Amino acid sequence: MIKFSKPLKALVAIAAIAVGLGQFSPALAASKTVVTIWSFGNVIRPELVTEYEAAHPDISIVVKKSELDPHHNSLITAMLAKNTPDIAAIEVSYSGYFRSYPKYFTDLRTLGASDMQSDYLDWRWDQGVADNGAVIGIPTDVGGAAIAYRTDLFKAAGLPTDPTSVSALWPTWDKYIAVGEKYKAKTKKSFLDSSGTVYAAILNQGTQKYYDRSGNLIYSSNAQVKTAFNGTSKALASGIGSNISQFTSDWNVGMNKGTFATIIAPAWMMDYIKQQAPATKGKWNIASLPGGGGNIGGSQLSIPASAKHPQEAMDFMKWYLSPAMQLRVFKTYGLFPSTKTLYDDPAVKNYTDPFFSNAPVGAIYTKGALALKPIFEGRKERQIDNIFGQALSRIALKKQTAAAAWQQALSEIKNTVG
Amino acid sequence: MSNTTLRSPNPWRASSKPQARKLGQLKKHESRWAFLFISPFFLMFLVFGLAPVLFSTYIAFFSWDPLGDTKFIGIDNFTYLVNDSRFWQATGNTFSIWAFSTFPQMILALFLASVLRNPKLRAPIFWRTLLLIPNITSVLAVAIVFGQLFGRDFGMINVVLGFMGFQHIDFVSNPLAGHIAIATMITWRWVGYNALIFLAAMIAIPNELYESAELDGASRWQQFRYVTLPGLRNTITFVIIVGTIGGLQVFAEPLTLSGNFNGGDSRQFSTLTLFLFEQMFVEQKYGYAAAIGIAITFIVLIISLINFLLTRRIASEGSK
Repeated sequence: MIKFSKPLKALVAIAAIAVGLGQFSPALAASKTVVTIWSFGNVIRPELVTEYEAAHPDISIVVKKSELDPHHNSLITAMLAKNTPDIAAIEVSYSGYFRSYPKYFTDLRTLGASDMQSDYLDWRWDQGVADNGAVIGIPTDVGGAAIAYRTDLFKAAGLPTDPTSVSALWPTWDKYIAVGEKYKAKTKKSFLDSSGTVYAAILNQGTQKYYDRSGNLIYSSNAQVKTAFNGTSKALASGIGSNISQFTSDWNVGMNKGTFATIIAPAWMMDYIKQQAPATKGKWNIASLPGGGGNIGGSQLSIPASAKHPQEAMDFMKWYLSPAMQLRVFKTYGLFPSTKTLYDDPAVKNYTDPFFSNAPVGAIYTKGALALKPIFEGRKERQIDNIFGQALSRIALKKQTAAAAWQQALSEIKNTVG
Repeated sequence: MSNTTLRSPNPWRASSKPQARKLGQLKKHESRWAFLFISPFFLMFLVFGLAPVLFSTYIAFFSWDPLGDTKFIGIDNFTYLVNDSRFWQATGNTFSIWAFSTFPQMILALFLASVLRNPKLRAPIFWRTLLLIPNITSVLAVAIVFGQLFGRDFGMINVVLGFMGFQHIDFVSNPLAGHIAIATMITWRWVGYNALIFLAAMIAIPNELYESAELDGASRWQQFRYVTLPGLRNTITFVIIVGTIGGLQVFAEPLTLSGNFNGGDSRQFSTLTLFLFEQMFVEQKYGYAAAIGIAITFIVLIISLINFLLTRRIASEGSK
């Protein structure tokens, strides 16, 4: 071992401290404005961020990506501590919660949001408008839903493979389940990845979920909730699902191995499939959702009140969420635009995706998005979703009957939400 | 050891320069320095230990919506807690996981320590270091890797079970299998650490005891049963106490396995800390979460008391 003399030791220590301080020296940091973004899933694309930084040499963007629920939970804590990012992504199921607290957000009307409004779908825009009228979020994508299916597996089971005939197989959810039972009887394999996903798809085909527009809880009286719950229990009882939870490692493996033949696919799901199962390229196709259009998910970008660089953040959002950018994002990743001005654009309407056997994904998702009825998102939407989700899992695992699970869910919701 | 050494406030200089002052007697200016030197810990403790404890005790009496309003509600949070079946289920889960992780771990750690104590073992330092590696691995990484092992359809354990002709076990939805899975993660992580503690205590047992036992014709097992185990009594108590404190804080493993803060479809993985976290950060009930925190404190106090009484009994038995 090298032995340092005492003065040399002191020198090394001083040098180390100097290097440490240098990291924080303002002279180095001041040259760029750092815009921080907190996000989840694929809302923020690193490639596009790099592109923006290249075009704006004075801006540096730092993105922190988390899981959906932890992301929103830590955002609440950060708002409380006034230690927020400059831009925060908010998923629609949490939008109702944040709409009650406009004072924690920058009113984007002060940064020119009103000029952007006419580009976007009205009901998507409204999900970012707070109770007091302040605009707290600009919509990113629309999760218009469809069914992604494996043409190779359909062929093997003697089912049609082209989207039009496949869509014609299931005008309703009952028919969809019937096709699934036929598939399962023939192949002994699962038809759907997770029967639980039927719930959100049916629920979102209504116009309201757990809250009415004045914010009153209607989860126990709204017929749509019961329809979704019963439809899902029926799907569970039929055994067409593999009961693999989405976004788990088993799910990723199953997608590659063809464990299931269909996935309920909001537009953003196409990108997950491409990422997780690149080897299945060309084996997928897209058909329409049973029971008409539906929306699952979608997000908005917000600027918290304690953001350090609201103007720079808004500049980025205006660029990132502009119709031109949304068109690019759609073509590259499949996220469906929230800007209605694009729906007539041939670039969207006629878009086909080679990964999905050149399915007319543009036409399918446009049709779905236009058929959508605006749906209202209430305050504790996400928590109630989770409780119903647990109830459906208990049915799936045969721990409870559908009726008992429904009763337990209602009492749990009463406990947590009121 | 000479008397002067004990008395001297500076043991390093004691042998060369005996001093008349008694230990603990400091001159006035020295005591001021002493306070300065111990102040960093107490300042940190005040800011990061005591203040949060006091504040959470305060908010436990409120209905506290982090972004919205707060309202004083007296002991409502506590009455709600006592009647909340989720709390009792979380308590049950916590102790079930604790039992599955602590007792097999003790036996395994004792076994490993006795193997390591063998003087004929080659490269003992290497083996001891190896035992500590699980302990320095990030909990989250452990949980993710074990999550892959325990996967229902394609997890390694189930693939092996399936290969041997057994049915797949759903470690996520089956409460008992899940608790054992979590206990396995905890055991894997802590068994080496505990084995080293046992090893240290075993080395402290004088060799003469073993030699005389051997002369008396005691077998290997009898040596272990009548020499090693009694010598480890205090160490075992210590390891169990530390394990219990850790067991009451199990968080990352059940969270990763269930993938959800609510602890699975029937809340089968909801441990006390997970329940607290869920109430605070998912349901945004800060007041109620604080009440749960206080309840956990009381549970720890009760267990500590039991441990204290037990240790005292063992200690007095030992001195007989």
